[in-house]
Amino acid sequence: MWIYEKKLQFPVKIKNPNPRLASAIISQLGGPDGEMGASMRYLHQRYSCPYDKVTGILTDVGTEELAHLEMVAAILYQLTRNLTPEEIENSPFAAYFVDHTTGVYPVAASGVPFDMKYVGVKGDILTDLNEDLAADAAIP
Amino acid sequence: MSCRDAMRKLQKIDFSIVETVLYLDAYPHCRQALNHYHALIEEQKRLKESMQKAGCAPVCATENMSQTEWQWTDGPWPWHPEAN
Repeated sequence: MWIYEKKLQFPVKIKNPNPRLASAIISQLGGPDGEMGASMRYLHQRYSCPYDKVTGILTDVGTEELAHLEMVAAILYQLTRNLTPEEIENSPFAAYFVDHTTGVYPVAASGVPFDMKYVGVKGDILTDLNEDLAADAAIP
Repeated sequence: MSCRDAMRKLQKIDFSIVETVLYLDAYPHCRQALNHYHALIEEQKRLKESMQKAGCAPVCATENMSQTEWQWTDGPWPWHPEAN
């Protein structure tokens, strides 16, 4: 189970709001290679893992990815405060704003909401670890 | 040390702990890493005790020290600029 600690893993202090930047960074939250995918991948692969130590790594890394999810959300939250209507309308953020205003919603920069289709969980640890290598871009 | 500075220090120690835990997950027999882990845990424990004594905001819901007030839900929350 999870305990929540009321602190970011690393501080986030954005000086200037920037909706244009937010509309790109949103992919790190809900895109195919973002933290939603990473955390859900590792945390779900661990159930069928036959090796305790590997289960440990999947659990601990998956948990850390949730902390990263929170940091990216913090970045997006701070990038989208106190915007004028003009700032919103004149940036790619306008499309996201239509459905979410300045809420933080896991979606890709393309507008596709986060999808578990980005994640492979096959019940075989070697297959799953290969998925992890590919997802982490560790396979050149 | 202010609560703000203490929180910074806690973030640093906790980051080191996470890295050490991940290392030990892969190399559970590394005695050096295990010793390092215990040193960090000890440092974290002392820091958290001093934060609680100084009346800093609780980091976990199980650390609401006040007997008269529920401070856990007080702002700022971690994504608010004031908390960073």
